[in-house]
This record gives sequence, C-alpha cells and structure tokens, in this order.
Amino acid sequence: MTAAHTNAPADPAAVDDIEWAVRLLAATPTHEHRDPELLRRWARAADAFGAALPPVECTARIVERDGGLERGLLARYTSRPPTVELYADTVALAEEVVDARGWRAWFPPGSVRAAALAHEAVHAHLHHGRARAALKHALGHSALRLGRLRVPGHVAGAEEVAAHAYARTVCGLGRSPLLLTAALAAEADARSHRPAPSPARDARREN
Amino acid sequence: MGVVILLVMAAGVAAMLTRKLPTAFALVLLALAIALVSGAPLTGENSVLDTVLQEGAGALAATMVAIVLGSWLGRLLDETGIAGTLVRKIVEFGGDRPTVVALGVLAVSALVGTVTGSAPAAMLAGIIGIPAMVAVGVPKVTAAGTVLMGIAVGVPFELPVWQFFSTALDLPVGTVRGFMVKLFPFALVAAVAYVVIENRRRGTEHAWSLKPVTARPASRRERLGDTPWYALLAPVVPLVLALGLEVAIIPSLLAGVLYALVTTTRPGEMNKRLLRTLYGGFEVAAPPLALFIAIGILLAAVKLPGAVEALEPLMKAVSPHHPVLFVAVFTLLVPLCLYRGPLNVFGLGAGIAGVLIATGIYPAVAVLGMATSYNQVFGVADPTSTQTVWSAQYAGVGPQQVMVRTLPYVWAVACGGLCVTAALYL
Repeated sequence: MTAAHTNAPADPAAVDDIEWAVRLLAATPTHEHRDPELLRRWARAADAFGAALPPVECTARIVERDGGLERGLLARYTSRPPTVELYADTVALAEEVVDARGWRAWFPPGSVRAAALAHEAVHAHLHHGRARAALKHALGHSALRLGRLRVPGHVAGAEEVAAHAYARTVCGLGRSPLLLTAALAAEADARSHRPAPSPARDARREN
Repeated sequence: MGVVILLVMAAGVAAMLTRKLPTAFALVLLALAIALVSGAPLTGENSVLDTVLQEGAGALAATMVAIVLGSWLGRLLDETGIAGTLVRKIVEFGGDRPTVVALGVLAVSALVGTVTGSAPAAMLAGIIGIPAMVAVGVPKVTAAGTVLMGIAVGVPFELPVWQFFSTALDLPVGTVRGFMVKLFPFALVAAVAYVVIENRRRGTEHAWSLKPVTARPASRRERLGDTPWYALLAPVVPLVLALGLEVAIIPSLLAGVLYALVTTTRPGEMNKRLLRTLYGGFEVAAPPLALFIAIGILLAAVKLPGAVEALEPLMKAVSPHHPVLFVAVFTLLVPLCLYRGPLNVFGLGAGIAGVLIATGIYPAVAVLGMATSYNQVFGVADPTSTQTVWSAQYAGVGPQQVMVRTLPYVWAVACGGLCVTAALYL
C-alpha cells in the first residue's frame, strides 16, 4: 500500500499524536478486528511507557547510507551485529518536508537524525533488556485467562509506538515522529509516482 | 527415435524456462509431439486422439477432485477466520520472542500445507503471518522462507498430493502414505533448523519505515474476530481421518469442509457460505487443474508403446542403479527441478517419472521416492513457483533471495528422501 491509496488528511498535523499511534496499531497485522477504543488504550499506554523511559545509550554501530527512499526506510536496527542504519536521503527529505510544512518549531534542524537514532536505540534496548516485559505489563493485554492464571499477551506494534514516544521526548520534539512519517510517506510517494506492485498479482499463475 | 524424443523434451523445457509457453500448454504440445514421433496412430488403440488426449486428460480426475476440495477447505479457513486466528494467537503468546513466533507461523503453514498447496496455501498462512513476523523483528527473507518451509512440512501429508502420486505412478494410496510418513521427519527437521538457524544468524530487524498508516475502514475479512478454539482444529480433521484412520482422501477432505463449516457458521448462513466458498475454491484450483489435465496427457504420451520402446535403451544407459550412485547423482541433479526444469514433478518431471516406470528402470515406489523428494525442493525454493513468488513479493524481497536462503535446507531434505528410497527400494 502506498500513501496514494490512503485516506491521509490534507493537514496531517490536525490529527493528534495518539490518533496516529492508534492508526499505526490498526495497520499492524493481528489488530484488524480490534475495537478502536482498545487500540487507543494500548496506544496511550505504549506512548506513556516510551515517554517515561530513562535515556538509553545507543551502543550499536551506526552506518549512514543512501537508498532509503527506494526501500521506504528512514532507519533500521539489526541485532546481528548490533547496527543502526540511517538512510541519509530519507533524513534529508524529512528535513525538507519539515521546512515545507512549516513544522520547524516542532522538529528543529538535525532533530530527524537524532530522533532516528533515539528510536532505534529503544529497539536495541527492548531487544536486549528487561524493558520488553515491562512494556507488556504496561499494556495489560492477556493472551489467556484460566481462573487466576493469566498469560500476558504481546501487542504487535506497541514497541514501535513506544520507540516514537521515546524519540519525541528525548529529542524535545513538539510532535510525534509518527506525524512526520505520515507526511514523509505522502511526499516520497508523490515523488516516486510508482504504483505499488500487487502481491497477489502472480498468485494465480500456474502452479 | 529416442534421441528425437529427448530433443523434443529439451525444446519443451526451453519453452517453459524462457516462458515462451505456460507450462500446461507446453506439456500438451510436448505430449502431442512425443506421440507423433513415437509413431502413434491418430485414432484407435494407443493413439494420439483417443489415448493421449481423451484418456490422458481425465487420467488424474481423482487428483483434480481432491485439489478442488482442498481449495474449498482453504477458502473456508480464510473466510471463517480460522487461519487468521491461529496466527494472531501465536503472535499474542510468543510475540516478544521472534523465533517462537516464526516457529508458530511455521506450524500454521504446515497445517495449511496439508490442506491445500501453491500460492493459496502461502496466502492463507502468509497474509497475516509474514507481516506479523516482520512486526516482531523477523527479517523479511527469513519470514517469507518460514511460510514456504512450513508449507513444505505439510506437503508430505497434503492429501491431493497423495492422490496425484497414487494415480500418476499407479501406486496404492497406502504405499504413497507409507513413503510420505518417512519423508516427513526430514522436512520437519529442515524447517525447524531453518527457523532456528536463520533467526540466530540474522537476528532481529526493526525499521522506521515510511509505510503510511491510514484511517481506512477494515474489510469484512479483516473485521473477523477470533474463531472458537475447537474450530482451529479444522485443518487437522482430514489429516487425522486419512492418516490415523485410513479413511479415503475425498471423504476425509469433505469431513474437514463440514467441520470448518459447522464450527464457525450459523445454520441459516451455511448454504450460502458453502456455495460461495466452493465457487471460490474452483477459482483457486483453476491453475493446478489445468496443469493436472496437461500432466495426465503427457503421462499418457510417454507410456505409449512406441515411446517406451524408443526411450528404454537410452534411459537404461544413463540411470544409476547402485544405491550410493543413485543418491549421489540424483542429489546433484536437484537444481534441475528449479526454474521449471526437467525434473520438476509438476512439469516434465512427471513425464520422466512415467518413462522410468514404463520402461521398468526403477520400481514405481523408487520413482515415487525420487519425485516426492524433488517436490520438497520445488515447493520451497523454485523462484518461479507461485507460492515462492507470492511470499517473496508480499514480504518485499526477491524470490531469488528466498531461493538462496532456503535451498541448502530443502536440498538436504531431498538428499534424505533419496537416501530412504535407495535404502528401501533399490
């Protein structure tokens, strides 16, 4: 799916940060049938969890490269070896979008790069540390209840919401990076003008 | 004459490889050419029209019915939300451990693989399974490969496949079942090894992607809630009946359809849902049905007395009989079943299997071992097979990347299957 196919509002800034987080969760597989109010509760909990995280040092190797727009990525964390890849072309476009939209007060110069590093640092933190269990606890979702026995359930996408909330807090951003992502996706799509390949297109070829 | 037939076959392979002709069309033309070169009359006994086209087209009818029923059940698993619920539950239980989630999706894919094959099987498990794995940090290539390896675990128990090999190789279903049970452990070990090793080697991946989030309303299928736990057993029903109780394949699949229906659907809606999913099943089954008609025609052609007589000396000269040589040669030839190659059992490979049996070079059960071993490779690593193309594209990677990652594992499965074949049947 591309931004061209979305119902993105004309002014994405009119949508509040929690609503962007709700939309992120709703677009994450496994939540298709969830009650929007439940998603909102999870979005709030994950956002609060990320915003309250103590500063996390990024110990992963940092690699800067181009090709992010082509791959639809701004940054990526890989655990083996621990590496944060920053896509310079996407970061540069993000800075252009901030200027074009008049959002400089929310996203100061250089803040996109800083936010990307902070975002991926949280992924590394949640991957290696005990914070992952704490996030699960904060969300309060149960995968199974048998009398007094309760198995906490994983909420796909909550880690992403927490990482964005953390980046917003530690980088002192006026709005969530989720807002910037939405505007960036629309801009990148407008520039590429490429129709998205239909994954099911070849599904009916011969066996 | 034998050399001419082999040249005709080579031309057919070239047409398939270069995609000048769809496989089904190429196989029919190949069959007609083989029949004419072998000197078959136009009509009458062992003829082009009556034997090759008329009898051949319907030779795999039982397989085709099984394919339709498998596709019907697959549609029901999709429409009723059974497949989606299985994946969602796995993510909820194991979501913070990517390897656990991948193993869970592997298990769901295996279950789906016992019911239906090809791209519909990959879609059933992968539409939710692939993005769910990516969301918990499984790298995209690993995620696509996990669904394919999972389907391959289910393939030894895919009832339409039993029916296909039983009819095509003229073997009792019990013999096919017996070999598949022996092949299954290799497929299972390789698939689990793939998930564990690849997740350890590649670790996890989290991306700040530009994927937009939307306020679009969910589709009817997306709005489906969780199905009751007992409905999740639907994919196992045909398997338990056919494998455990030795019930025939078609009634086993029908029982699966009925179980999925009654555990998920209100009585008033049953008729409508049954009919809708049945018609949907035909749509899904259309490509394999076309292929099985063509394979039946090709098998009829290579079994013509003239073709057998011409090919026998050539095939005997090049076919290894010593068990060690058999395993070594046919293991080395594994790549020939990729890219619609000559050993692809859902292509010319079926014809070659027919020749090997008709000329008496190997016992039919040994050819079964060879063909099913190659099938384990084709179903996962062939970048031209629809399930591989679909899974790779849906994960956002290239089919070739998936082939490179999965081939060592499925090659080992094929080697295992060939070892069993050589040890037991040569």
